[in-house]
Amino acid sequence: MVVDMMTLDTGQMPKPDLAPRDNYLTHTRGAWSWLFTLDHKRIGIMYLTCVLSAFFVAGMFALLVRTQLLTPEGTIMGQDDYNQAFTLHGAIMVFLVIIPSIPAALGNFVLPIMLGAKDVAFPRLNLFSFWLWVAGALFFVLALLTGGLDTGWTFYTPYSTDPNSAMGGMIPAVTGAFILGFSSIFTGMNFIVTIHRLRPPGMTWFRMPLFLWGIYATAILQVMATPVLGITLALLAVERAFGIGIFDPALGGDPVLYQHFFWFYSHPAVYIMILPGMAIISDLIAVHSHRHIFGYKFIAYSSIAIALFSFLVWGHHMFTSGQSPLVNVIFSAITFSVAIPSAIKVFNWLATMYKGSISWNTPMLYAMGFIFIFTIGGLTGLHLGTLATDIHLHDTYFVVAHFHYVMMGSALIAMIGGLHHWWPKITGKMYNENWGRWGFTLVFIGFNVTFFTQFMLGSQGMPRRYATYPADAGFQIYHVISSIGSYILAVGFFVTAGYLLQSMFGGRRAPANPWGGRSLEWQCSSPPPHDNFSKTPTVGDCYDFSVLEWDEDEQGYVWRADIPHPGEEEPRGH
Amino acid sequence: MMSHLLNILPAIYGDATGPTFWMPEAASSVAGEIDWILEFINVISYIFFFIIVFALVYLAVKYRRDPSRKQISGDGPTHNMALELTWTIIPTLIVLVIFWVGMVGYIDLRESPDDSYEVSVAAQKWSWTFTHPDYAVTQGGELTVPLGKPVRLVMTSADVLHSLFVPAFRVKQDIVPGRYSTLWFEATKPGSYQLYCTEYCGKDHSNMLATVHVLPEDEFQDAMGKLAREYEDLPDADLPRYALVRLYNRCASCHSLDGSTGTGPSFKGLWDRTTGGSTVFTDGSSLEDHMASGDEYEVPENYIRDSIMNPGKYVVENYTNVMPNNFASQLKPRQVEALVLMMKHLDQLVDEDGNIIEPPEAEEPKGSDMTETTGDGG
Repeated sequence: MVVDMMTLDTGQMPKPDLAPRDNYLTHTRGAWSWLFTLDHKRIGIMYLTCVLSAFFVAGMFALLVRTQLLTPEGTIMGQDDYNQAFTLHGAIMVFLVIIPSIPAALGNFVLPIMLGAKDVAFPRLNLFSFWLWVAGALFFVLALLTGGLDTGWTFYTPYSTDPNSAMGGMIPAVTGAFILGFSSIFTGMNFIVTIHRLRPPGMTWFRMPLFLWGIYATAILQVMATPVLGITLALLAVERAFGIGIFDPALGGDPVLYQHFFWFYSHPAVYIMILPGMAIISDLIAVHSHRHIFGYKFIAYSSIAIALFSFLVWGHHMFTSGQSPLVNVIFSAITFSVAIPSAIKVFNWLATMYKGSISWNTPMLYAMGFIFIFTIGGLTGLHLGTLATDIHLHDTYFVVAHFHYVMMGSALIAMIGGLHHWWPKITGKMYNENWGRWGFTLVFIGFNVTFFTQFMLGSQGMPRRYATYPADAGFQIYHVISSIGSYILAVGFFVTAGYLLQSMFGGRRAPANPWGGRSLEWQCSSPPPHDNFSKTPTVGDCYDFSVLEWDEDEQGYVWRADIPHPGEEEPRGH
Repeated sequence: MMSHLLNILPAIYGDATGPTFWMPEAASSVAGEIDWILEFINVISYIFFFIIVFALVYLAVKYRRDPSRKQISGDGPTHNMALELTWTIIPTLIVLVIFWVGMVGYIDLRESPDDSYEVSVAAQKWSWTFTHPDYAVTQGGELTVPLGKPVRLVMTSADVLHSLFVPAFRVKQDIVPGRYSTLWFEATKPGSYQLYCTEYCGKDHSNMLATVHVLPEDEFQDAMGKLAREYEDLPDADLPRYALVRLYNRCASCHSLDGSTGTGPSFKGLWDRTTGGSTVFTDGSSLEDHMASGDEYEVPENYIRDSIMNPGKYVVENYTNVMPNNFASQLKPRQVEALVLMMKHLDQLVDEDGNIIEPPEAEEPKGSDMTETTGDGG
């Protein structure tokens, strides 16, 4: 039954073994074969290209923001330009980069292969999701052309709905975010159905790699939370365009209601960003430690627990908003419940390294960097979930530092770690490992210098979203250090982009299994053939690495010569 | 009350302390408790951070792969229920304690004492106005409060969300248009403290600042008395300087004194532009068109007055009208008079760069001690 569906959806009969040169990159040629492809791998590549381009743009805005804050009176911009710069940095990073980065870009490429499927359940819907992303991005460009955007990525009312306050690009921007929401919903739906329906024989729920559990938990959030954002943004647009009072008190509305709606989506959205990151790290740690993951079920269930709890904690963004003290107390209590599954994951990752055989490859360095950074990001969440201290820290740079540790230092670092992990599979080429380690070092140091200083800056009282700041408050030294860190970070990313691009042309040919992974994507060639597997892959325990050994000729890992391959009677021998 | 348990700790930690590595100067009755809670969470965080990072580095080094081995797999255990339960239950207990401590501290932050001294706060883009109902005194950009007495702020916003934040007091509260918000604090240390707007409110958000002056009770009474009579008792000659020092801070976020372009036109040279009639409006007319004999601005002062009281009437070319129209209700007639006089005599009050020129000290004996008379760089 399952196999039938796969055959139907790809519309092709299973092919005989392909020559190694024929892979998904060379299968068909020309721009149209990419732009209207139904191949999940090509759609993943297009997502990756677009998301990284958006990351470049939003990163440039970040550098403008950091440069502006070098001096108290502002270095390079006026107030209006600064407000646009931080708004676009935030909105692009959240809606166009981090939310689609792991699920839509890496997930699209890896998920069906890991699962043992030939494609996602609905390849046409998958392509449609991608084009919705492009449409959403164009609306953000339109917002810039029609007056700009200066509301912050949160679009708080009544500022955003008052035509005398917010700049003219509000409605295009909100429309863009609305469309991007549907891109995210469709991707989530597609992945849920794929995981439920397209698992090959032998791929039971608890044999799935933890990456798939994480993406599955994320997909639930995408499908259930994002519609609330859509509704909220639609109401916002209606109020702004037609003056129908929903959120603006001057029209009889309630601005705090907007905050409830917004965070009902946007808090789960934080987990849409971090859960796939955690999912990548679980697999990176196990593969590069060459050691069975520790506490598989606890890690898998903690992803689901985080997804469920995340719907119940949105009010912790609103402790100073004027909601009742009782509500604040309840939200604070529930908020702490999220800390537990996050802590469980960290401890299980460390236990996985115990008695491992750890290769210090670039992806593993990113995974270890993730644990360091996520620990700081998670622990500073305690300060913000605690009512008494959040009142002081709310809307200061402490919050800015905290969410950058989680969203950038954790989610994006995991994405880049995953990119390095699957790069040989995606491109068929190895990058230079030494350059990879240098790139990681620069990114890791740059990140921590940039954002750790912002904790002190915030707890000392520096409010966020300020284009200038009092010269006598002692903030400047922290801002200068932070900005220097951001330049180091930028150099790190340029180095990374440089050696990755170089590897596509000059890199060594990648073996099928360069790291010693056991999930199914390492069973097909690098890059994979058009329909992923020339014959149905054999599903085993994806964390049992004892059956693999290093092969000097292959420069990769192969099945051990002295034990029989499943499906074969005798060991291959020599 | 539970909080009494915590109130012992500020006694050790100190109610009024200088800045620490993490926190700014502490100057309110709750600051000690908040700082103690923050340091308590810090200590827990440090412990977890060092355990995790030590384990991370230790394991990465100790179990680093030996490349000479052909078979690669590590062989540690795959699960351990007792361990999983341990690292689930211990963090759960710890966060329960943190939650409880934070809740108790929060209740102390929110419950204002019954005998609080009340101040009305009006927030609008991009200025603060503080009114003391007990003294019929209104302050702009500065808030004077008594030392050692609970102060309750009753706050409203005229336009969008704002938020009042005084780091030294560890208090913050959003101000939502269409409803009243309250906040209380008891200052424990005389001095001046920075007040910020911490909810993004548009262009000049980062200029929406004010200063809180904490004065001992008797000095506070004197200050209120002076402020109440200030503009009534002043001779006309002192009105321009009074407007510049006391009222201009409500204009400062949009109107510069040094000629630089802001959200609104600079005040520098405003009087010359007005009497010269050269100003052009968005409707295409120029001020000169309205200055003919018998026309509305035959007396140029009326243009300045109108621009304050009814700011949308004529909007200067290349600007949009974002000026609040409620200054008419906030300002007493003599204060408006003072502002008009300020514009008229601005070139005598500020220098080319917009810095206030200090008045000559009439009472001080001149020239007797150079260092003393020139000491005021202020």
